[in-house]
Amino acid sequence: MGTMHIDGHEIPFQENDNILKAALAANIEIPYFCYHAALGSLGACRLCAVEIAPEDPNKKPRVVMSCLEPAKDGINVSVSAAAARQVRQTVIEFLMVNHPHDCPVCDEGGECRLQDMTVACGPPYRRYRGRKRTFTNQYLGPLVHHEMNRCITCYRCTRFYQDYALGDDLGAMRLRNEVYFGRFQEGPLTSPFAGNVIEVCPTGVFTDAVFRQHFARVWDLETAPSICPHCSVGCNTLPGARDGTLRRVCNRFHPEINRWFICDRGRYGHQYSEHPDRPLTAQVSGVKVSYREALAAAAEQIKAARDRTGGLGSTREDLESNAILQTLLNKLSGRFATFSDPQLETATTAAVAALQSSGGAPSLSEIEQADAALVVGDLTTHAPMMDLALRQAYRTGAKLAILHSGPSLLTRFAATTLTVAPHEIGAHLLHLNEQAATASTTSNKHENEKKLADIATYLTTAQRPILIGVSETMAAPEITALAQLANALGSRARLAYALPGANAYGTALLTPTNSTTAMLEAIESGQIQTLIVMGNDPLGDTRLGARWREARQCLSTFIVSDCVATATAEAADILLPVAAWTERGGTFVNYEGRAQGFAPVFQRAEPLPNTAEVLADLAHCLELALPDAAAVLSNIFPGYQAPLPGTLGSSLSAFPLTMQTETPIGSAPLGHPGHWQVTLASWYGDDVLASYAPALVELAPPAAALIHPTAALKERIEDKEQVRLRGPAGTVVLSVQLNNDVAADTIALARVTLAQLGVGHGDLLELERIS
Amino acid sequence: MEAVLTRHLDAHAPLSLQAYQAAGGYHSLDAAFDHKPEEIIAIVEAANLRGRGGAGFSCGLKWRLRGADAPRPRYLVCNIDESEPGTFKDRHLLYGGPHQIIEAVIVSAYALQAEQVVIFVRGEYGKGGHGLKRAIEEAEKAGLVGSNIKGSGFNLQIKVHLSGGRYICGEETAMLNAIEGRRPNPRHKIPRPSVKGLWQHPTTINNVETLVNVPHILLNGADWFRALGINGGCGPKLFCVSGMVQHPGLFELPCGTPARELIFEHAGGLAAGRTLQGFIPGGASTAFLLPEHLDVPMDFDPVAKAGSRLGTAAIIVLDDTTCPVQATLNLMRFFARESCGFCTPCRDGLPYLAQILTAIADGEGRAEDLILMEELCNTIGPQSFCAFAPGAVMPLTSSLQCFRDHYESHIATGRCPFDAANKSGA
Repeated sequence: MGTMHIDGHEIPFQENDNILKAALAANIEIPYFCYHAALGSLGACRLCAVEIAPEDPNKKPRVVMSCLEPAKDGINVSVSAAAARQVRQTVIEFLMVNHPHDCPVCDEGGECRLQDMTVACGPPYRRYRGRKRTFTNQYLGPLVHHEMNRCITCYRCTRFYQDYALGDDLGAMRLRNEVYFGRFQEGPLTSPFAGNVIEVCPTGVFTDAVFRQHFARVWDLETAPSICPHCSVGCNTLPGARDGTLRRVCNRFHPEINRWFICDRGRYGHQYSEHPDRPLTAQVSGVKVSYREALAAAAEQIKAARDRTGGLGSTREDLESNAILQTLLNKLSGRFATFSDPQLETATTAAVAALQSSGGAPSLSEIEQADAALVVGDLTTHAPMMDLALRQAYRTGAKLAILHSGPSLLTRFAATTLTVAPHEIGAHLLHLNEQAATASTTSNKHENEKKLADIATYLTTAQRPILIGVSETMAAPEITALAQLANALGSRARLAYALPGANAYGTALLTPTNSTTAMLEAIESGQIQTLIVMGNDPLGDTRLGARWREARQCLSTFIVSDCVATATAEAADILLPVAAWTERGGTFVNYEGRAQGFAPVFQRAEPLPNTAEVLADLAHCLELALPDAAAVLSNIFPGYQAPLPGTLGSSLSAFPLTMQTETPIGSAPLGHPGHWQVTLASWYGDDVLASYAPALVELAPPAAALIHPTAALKERIEDKEQVRLRGPAGTVVLSVQLNNDVAADTIALARVTLAQLGVGHGDLLELERIS
Repeated sequence: MEAVLTRHLDAHAPLSLQAYQAAGGYHSLDAAFDHKPEEIIAIVEAANLRGRGGAGFSCGLKWRLRGADAPRPRYLVCNIDESEPGTFKDRHLLYGGPHQIIEAVIVSAYALQAEQVVIFVRGEYGKGGHGLKRAIEEAEKAGLVGSNIKGSGFNLQIKVHLSGGRYICGEETAMLNAIEGRRPNPRHKIPRPSVKGLWQHPTTINNVETLVNVPHILLNGADWFRALGINGGCGPKLFCVSGMVQHPGLFELPCGTPARELIFEHAGGLAAGRTLQGFIPGGASTAFLLPEHLDVPMDFDPVAKAGSRLGTAAIIVLDDTTCPVQATLNLMRFFARESCGFCTPCRDGLPYLAQILTAIADGEGRAEDLILMEELCNTIGPQSFCAFAPGAVMPLTSSLQCFRDHYESHIATGRCPFDAANKSGA
């Protein structure tokens, strides 16, 4: 928009840019602490002083804070002017007055902005002779370590935690040189994004408490560009490893996805790869053997079974492994499937089909620009960073509406929350479709109808409405109904789904129609005798775990490859441990259909093969000629080129699905009297891999049966009362927790409870009082 | 000069609504409603009523610059967060005559066409704040506050906000944050509060002493007001005199009255045998003046010309038994304590200065300390976020100039000469 001069360089700037922002964009370094690209200018640290030459030569030059001073056409700015340097030097001297100078024992060492700025701008000697003020630190939970004496009071932590992420339990307290950043009382931070304070803090006040348990200096860490495996968003990460073990995961900037931040599941879920129970040695019939021996045993069984072999891929396995498994099964004339639950298969494939015909899902930075949004389901727990993007939309005035059956952290920011039982979601979506089409405003409405009318108004009057569905808790007809609503709203509306798994989109592209049901029936009828399960946990499935456990008895050989000790891995005849995602390269396709490559970060002392290598080795033993991953993928996706790790990724959304997706919209069956509907009460650390991360698991809410007070009153159930829940797979005794966010006739239960009972989201359940 | 602002003040038995009305109170409402709002602003501007909170900006000009077309709702905030050391003028107005304040804010809000007034009262003035609340209730019952006041069609709500209690809340943008329930950190003043103030709406902030002049100006005219001052000053002024004088207190005198008259006539002069060493003219955040400045008229421009500020017109007197190093340290400790902690130079620089001053006062000063303090002040003052730190370093920088020999003798002898002198005298 204009040009200014900084120390003789011509620097372009955009409208509303301040000097600092424009300078940083042009790679001109101006020292700063409190400014942050995502959090904006504050003007508190006073480090970014620059000198501006006066327009009137008779006047003196001014020293200003470049973060607060608007960039103007033609101005002459100097970063190197003596007056500006003197201000920066004095500011550093002030900031170091109370700093403990504990760099040798500080975890921030090597990536400390305070250290960098002190060396760059500070005085060479200390002149202050008084005592330093000291603070008492707080216990902030298992994720974030607190060391307040190092604080330089830049307010970045609270500006991220409160202003950006809309958390409310970390703030600035007290005043003068005793400003204290912490909680009102000690205790775990409650925000799903708390770990970002570690990265926004320019010094060592907030450091990674998990990294700290097995610490390494950052300059000793091996790193490589990676992709988060914990949900379908595909945040870019930078894991760090040393001595053959993974130590931490940090954010890696991607301009359209996560930018400066990641969620706590993404930051701390990596502990699964160092879990003490992680399978590291191959097993045959429970006996530890060498990888070659296990491979030979597996090959022998498959040879015997030939076309009676089945292969189950996974939404958390990379694109390469799924495609190679599919190819292997094709060569064997066997059967290939990817999901453990047919309902999840139809919902996910329906979602991908809907995205393909809607012109593609919005990126996170596009979601931030929404001025109205409808979320179906609990977004925070299935795609935390989509939630954070919606919080940004909310901050700029977007109207958020939530349609769900249970609690969700986003309801706090919702203009309208419509809570209905799982079976009624579909009908409400259809109703909303009608409302959006007719924009009718009838009076005397039932409360829920009024809410629907409000939601319809938000969406129809918005310029950039966004609809987001959580596919794991939606049936295929509901997925389609949401897509139709997007269609009805016209081209300004965008559609997205939080999918179940880091590679759910890519896996769906390879999934044959009704493959899960066909696979189960084939096993149960004896058609399939040998099953290869790759990074999937059918035996631990919430709804179908019991059926899979029975089906497993029909198999003569059960071959499992995984990097975590799932129920399925523990039931394997032949177990082939594989490399974790940080130990191998591969490709995940995120919820947008964006294929992103990740690179191997490090090798373990005793390296494990990745899944694609296991399959290739298996094919070799079977004397089958199996092309490599690149060839397999370019065969399936013409013109496909593997996206290089560290790049922005490439779109796979143009490639059609292999399965048919005809999902008629209709109302689901209503509940039976005496039965309760089940809704999944998840939490932000809830995913298969993260359930092996001890620090996250420590924060999991205790299992309980969440029931609405009105429903409880009707059944004369009291808060904290013990009740017996009866499902197809078993019985569980839990204490009742009254919760206003649960729908009528509905019980919200944790994933582990669902698995114990053998029910899934939307299934029916019996509840008995124990008295 | 006949008392104008203090005429009906009685801290022990402030006038009831009835008694205040009988004494002529609230008459200015009729006068105000007979005028168009912009006419009142023109009269106030013509009266040259300058802000009594310390900055001395023209009240009428401030009102005019907000603009008659500012979007609604608009707010008027009346500042009674008087916390400046040595200053106790607003306290007298608050405790002595709450109805005078209410009358003033009604007339001022009418001139500004503001529908809501927030009166921000210093936390320690709780009793006065409660008295003010009761007086507002009285006025509401009498139809003087509320909707369609006296049939004028003008609606006004007045709320009293009792401060949580910090000096920084007196800074106008920190005050807005405090009213909104946020940390009382000052705000960046682009845009100005008159554009985006309280809850992002146009807001005018005035000191209470400024506002209580408005009804009198309206009733008696701009010329009358200007003629009340002397030596170039305009209107009546409340002066506080404290420190080493015989009769410290509050004096309402013409703006422009010289310090000599205030100290030696109205405040009873110094104790027998004492001589004046220096004085602070306008509250803790103004520069020291010396005996040679006694005849400077106590008005905004003359005091500024003498190198200090009229500030709150609160004179603090140092006689020849007062150690200026100790006095300056006392002030610096106050400012270091009251910093809101937002920006680095103020938060960490002022305690640094207080530490050096402590060392000097304790006889542990070093020769290089005086230059170090001057160097630090040169950054702290101009490079801080708000006006707090520039005010905080003002007494120190002037003290280093006015009383340098005392600092040097503390450093050279390793002890305070005043301690020894006071002990031997006792």
